[in-house]
Amino acid sequence: MVPGAFVRVLFPTQEKPRRPGLLHIGYVLGGTASEALVAYTTSQPWPTDAPIPAGVRLFGAEAAAQLNQSRPFLLRLDVLAKLPRTAEWFPDLGRHDQGVIAIAPPELQSELIGIAANLVRRRRELVQMRGP
Amino acid sequence: MSRPRQQPSGRRARTRKQPAKVAITLRLGSEQVRRLQAAAKAENRSLTNYVETALLRDLSHRDEAARVITMYAAPGTSPHIRPEDVARREGESEQAYAERRDLLVELWSIPDSE
Repeated sequence: MVPGAFVRVLFPTQEKPRRPGLLHIGYVLGGTASEALVAYTTSQPWPTDAPIPAGVRLFGAEAAAQLNQSRPFLLRLDVLAKLPRTAEWFPDLGRHDQGVIAIAPPELQSELIGIAANLVRRRRELVQMRGP
Repeated sequence: MSRPRQQPSGRRARTRKQPAKVAITLRLGSEQVRRLQAAAKAENRSLTNYVETALLRDLSHRDEAARVITMYAAPGTSPHIRPEDVARREGESEQAYAERRDLLVELWSIPDSE
């Protein structure tokens, strides 16, 4: 489960944020030997009348297929989870592929890191605006 | 046919409404008040409206800062990670690793949104 991997994960939900949630494909930004930081993905289309928030990357049908995914999806770099690298959260960890669906090519990884970095900068500015 | 039950007083029960606004007392230095009055005048607002707007704007910034990134932290995960503990991808360049490592350390420090 290397950085840049799209992996099957029981991503926590708003209703039960401390427990393994529904099976999703997550994007691994990285982590340590025992923990991973994972971004949320969903194949639910974004409402057409709502602006797409910063931190969301859209993948059309073709781009999704290149990442071994059957449907267009959204990657939410604004919705993250710190998870232990255990089968409780990554149910296919014991399989030979560890539940990895695809690995993003280096250019895409760089783009996604850039999007996440912009979000962090924006958050930092807002936090500073609030004062210490 | 049953009739609606009356309250002991003979009046219908009223739902108690929260007042739309609550008055607060604010004490500020005279120089600050002078500056606020000037700023309010420049925006063609009353001083009260100007202060209210400024406070609401601050609350909005707080909400936005909290919302920019939603973080879920599973029980037992570390609140921070050390840069040297960030795993490096095979073949990742020094620069790419450094950027990702620094980003990860900062992202990791974002507290649980719950």
